[in-house]
Amino acid sequence: MSISDSDFIQLRDFIYNICGMYFHTTKKYFLESRLSRRMEITGTKTHLEYYQFLKSPRGSEELKYLMDEITTNETYFFRNVPQLTALETKLLPEIVETKNKMGFRKLRIWSAGSSSGEEAYTMSMMLLEKRSTLLKDWIIEIVGTDINETVISQAKEGIYNAYSVRNIPDLYKRKYIKEENGKFLLSPEVKKFVTFNKLNLYDDSKMIFMKSFDFIFCANVLIYFDTASKSKVVQHFYNNLQPYGYFFVGQSESLHGVNDKFKTVHFPGGFTYKK
Amino acid sequence: MDKLAMIQRAEELVGTIEDLPTIPVVATQVLLLLDQPEVKVEDVADLMLTDQVMTARVMKMVNSPIFKPGHDITSLRLALVYLGLKHIRELALTTSLINAFDADTGDFQISAFWEHSFGVGMVSKIIAEKIGYPDLEKAYIGGIIHDLGVVFLSQYQREDFQAVLDRIKDKPIKLVDAEAELLGTTHCEIGLCMARKWNFPEVYCELISQHHTPAEATIDPVLCAIVNLSDLFCGVRELNYGGREWVSFNLSDEAAWQILRNEAPNLANLDIERFCYELDDAIPDVKALVRSIFTSHEQAGD
Repeated sequence: MSISDSDFIQLRDFIYNICGMYFHTTKKYFLESRLSRRMEITGTKTHLEYYQFLKSPRGSEELKYLMDEITTNETYFFRNVPQLTALETKLLPEIVETKNKMGFRKLRIWSAGSSSGEEAYTMSMMLLEKRSTLLKDWIIEIVGTDINETVISQAKEGIYNAYSVRNIPDLYKRKYIKEENGKFLLSPEVKKFVTFNKLNLYDDSKMIFMKSFDFIFCANVLIYFDTASKSKVVQHFYNNLQPYGYFFVGQSESLHGVNDKFKTVHFPGGFTYKK
Repeated sequence: MDKLAMIQRAEELVGTIEDLPTIPVVATQVLLLLDQPEVKVEDVADLMLTDQVMTARVMKMVNSPIFKPGHDITSLRLALVYLGLKHIRELALTTSLINAFDADTGDFQISAFWEHSFGVGMVSKIIAEKIGYPDLEKAYIGGIIHDLGVVFLSQYQREDFQAVLDRIKDKPIKLVDAEAELLGTTHCEIGLCMARKWNFPEVYCELISQHHTPAEATIDPVLCAIVNLSDLFCGVRELNYGGREWVSFNLSDEAAWQILRNEAPNLANLDIERFCYELDDAIPDVKALVRSIFTSHEQAGD
């Protein structure tokens, strides 16, 4: 069923206000197809009826399923290109310069909600490429955390399917990926910088020990939290970030109304948050 | 670098060009007519109809998605009624400017220039509205004309300007900084000299000159801040000359942001993230507008 402009706007605003994810008009048809699946499962007949179901007390559970459909719940390497370009062009050189001045040659990166590890390993590959130049003699620590132990073991294994690796630039693919029987294996040097641990972002007693990060990534995770939990978790990220560090959320995500301390830093195709 | 020295250098450069495009007489006459009390739509329409290219472009622009008419507008008089007299000034001026600069030179794509300019015009109007700036039309025109100096450089200083673009390619270096270093002046001062030559009102001259340094403006710093901020946002949301300059900024550090927040404290509550995403959504409309302008240009057989 095709979605009317007014139904689309109503639903888009609802998703934005509750989850902090914006649906671009260009993605209207995508939303439409995802909605039709959920409408079939929930037995709702019209978009309006589905929207009312989402708003009802039983809707919070359904919203999680909808977000799963929308984010496709799948990740891949080199997913957010504008973000990576900004890191390479400006943010990383800037932090390296700051830390060089302090004589503190260690880089700490956190992929929060690391799933099967693609984001953490993407960073590892990018930084490996700078081992002989910008990051010569630097210590690199990349930490991936997730609440789900199954995906953590997958991440530790470092074996991927063709879908996951499809966006990796050839240069990186040649150097760091080996294909075996249709599976793609990461080279040991990429895995060397990265550790994966189980962590519940709600767990204050653990969160306070995740200290001194230069970059924190948390894409498509906060959209599942209610506003109060979001605020609490984001405050932890804020505290755990170096004063000159950057905090990244996923494409189309927003922290508006969640934390008013972070400042936005804009770059072509995206933005990041800074203290 | 010293602003006066850069203006002097710009005057030298602009002064050497003998065939600098002129603004059509009709545009100047329309602007004069609109300054008179009790002007009639019919009179303005009659005057504009003497310039076919201008008429064709006005018709295209008014029917483009950015103005969103509910139905096709088929006559110039209807167009002027639909838009209101205030908008005629902006149309007369902008269609004339497009007329003056409508060809690609070398790698410089004029349509990308106009996409950026109309984008900045549109965003300036939105920001002006948000902060309660009294003259939305002025903000819109300001956005459209802020980068005139860039076209001059791309057309009359091609090689030098290309060297500037090569210097900043994929690097976080500001265009104005590279221009000052390599040319001894920037598109701001060049634009200022052009605007003076064309007898633009002082407020627009200042805007063109200070759109990267709004804190130094004296006539209308708020207008300069509006256009500066729009320029920055367009620079990071695909109305950025095809990524010619790698723009990046920390919003809270920008002088323009401070100026506008002093002007309208409620701006602190602006949902900046959503503002960016909505800007993405508006980009197709801006591109369609520019496409329609250039189509009208071909149809007019110019």
